[in-house]
Amino acid sequence: MADLILQSLDLIIFLSLVILGYISGSMAEKKHYRSIIQREKELLKLPVLTAEGSFRAGLVKESVLVTGSAVISIDYFKRLMAVLRNLFGGRVKAYESLLDRARREAILRMKAEAKSRGAAIVVNMRLETAAIGKNADRKRQLGSVEAVAYGTAVIYNPR
Amino acid sequence: MKFSAKELEGNLNVSPTHPLLDFSWMLGGLIAIIALIYLLLAVGTDLVVEQIPIKAEVWLGERGLAEFPAEADAELQQRLERLLEELAADSDLPEYKFRAYLSSREEVNALALPGGNILVFAGLLDVVESENELAMVLGHELGHFAQRDHLRGLGRGLGLSVAAALLFGEDSAISNLVSRSLLTFQSSYSQQQEEAADAYGLQLLAARYGHVAGAEDFFARSVATAGSRATYLFASHPHPAERVIRLKQLIAAKKYPLGKLEPLADHFTRPATPSAD
Repeated sequence: MADLILQSLDLIIFLSLVILGYISGSMAEKKHYRSIIQREKELLKLPVLTAEGSFRAGLVKESVLVTGSAVISIDYFKRLMAVLRNLFGGRVKAYESLLDRARREAILRMKAEAKSRGAAIVVNMRLETAAIGKNADRKRQLGSVEAVAYGTAVIYNPR
Repeated sequence: MKFSAKELEGNLNVSPTHPLLDFSWMLGGLIAIIALIYLLLAVGTDLVVEQIPIKAEVWLGERGLAEFPAEADAELQQRLERLLEELAADSDLPEYKFRAYLSSREEVNALALPGGNILVFAGLLDVVESENELAMVLGHELGHFAQRDHLRGLGRGLGLSVAAALLFGEDSAISNLVSRSLLTFQSSYSQQQEEAADAYGLQLLAARYGHVAGAEDFFARSVATAGSRATYLFASHPHPAERVIRLKQLIAAKKYPLGKLEPLADHFTRPATPSAD
């Protein structure tokens, strides 16, 4: 039996990484989504627009750049799913939630910064996505995705 | 325009399918593809193997032999070759020019290389105790030539690795996984080959000596060092205990007589060297 385990050691390691990735990955994802939904509710009253704002004279006290970024890593299970998807084609569902989480977290962090500065609105919000460790797949390592949200926080004059 | 904050229900950006369901669909598809490739390869190899000329095999064999430096012990080699010739006289393999090589490796094993080359490792000679036993091992290797197993194994193995590398990319985790699982498929096939080669060797042994004493001795001795049977589930060879049982069944079924064992010639027994530890 010990021989069998030794012979297929790399296979066993691979399978345990996949199982670990599934369990911890889905736990982390559930927890993250709970927190995202809760914070989105808290920050609901702070509007974020992708449009340029236009304000009447005397209203704006100050406008500042606010940014928020989040990096989410994939796990072995998600990577295995994506590799299989590469074979069959179709939506890479395993990565969808990853990007969704990264974008929403980035926006939330940006909004939190805007709120701490006392902003009433964030205008001209933009989203960028970047892959960290693009060569990771070739080196059999895992990569991550980064989403950056940035915009102009507008702080009104006290009335 | 008045801004009114509104909560969104659901999430359109994430597909609602459960990841495990998605995973099992894709895994099922992958297994189906692999099974198909394996079947095509098996059928294709069996078709091609019959057509490969011996010449091409000899060429392949020379390449293979370069991988294993053979020991230049002429006397030992000659003795082995004579033993082989006697065996081959009873076999239906006149097209091959059989040659036996002795490798200094300590492995307890013998190999059938393409082109009629049989490689005996020095470790085997240390373990073997009688002439008949050695003849059985050589007969077993001749059995592989009779079925052209060495080519079949090569064809399938090579085809599988190439297919896995093409599908999933060279040196990727998934291609490793696939070729490993295919090797598992392969093992039951190769265990059948080994059993057929054992039967062939037994037949040769009976023809050469008029009896089959010593046929299962080598395997019986390997049982102690072979480890548990679970290890052999995915091995290329059956468990030695299994082989002993199979050989005994064959001997009983074919009513082969059992005679006296001939002692191993002096050339094959190395002077005992005191071990370092």
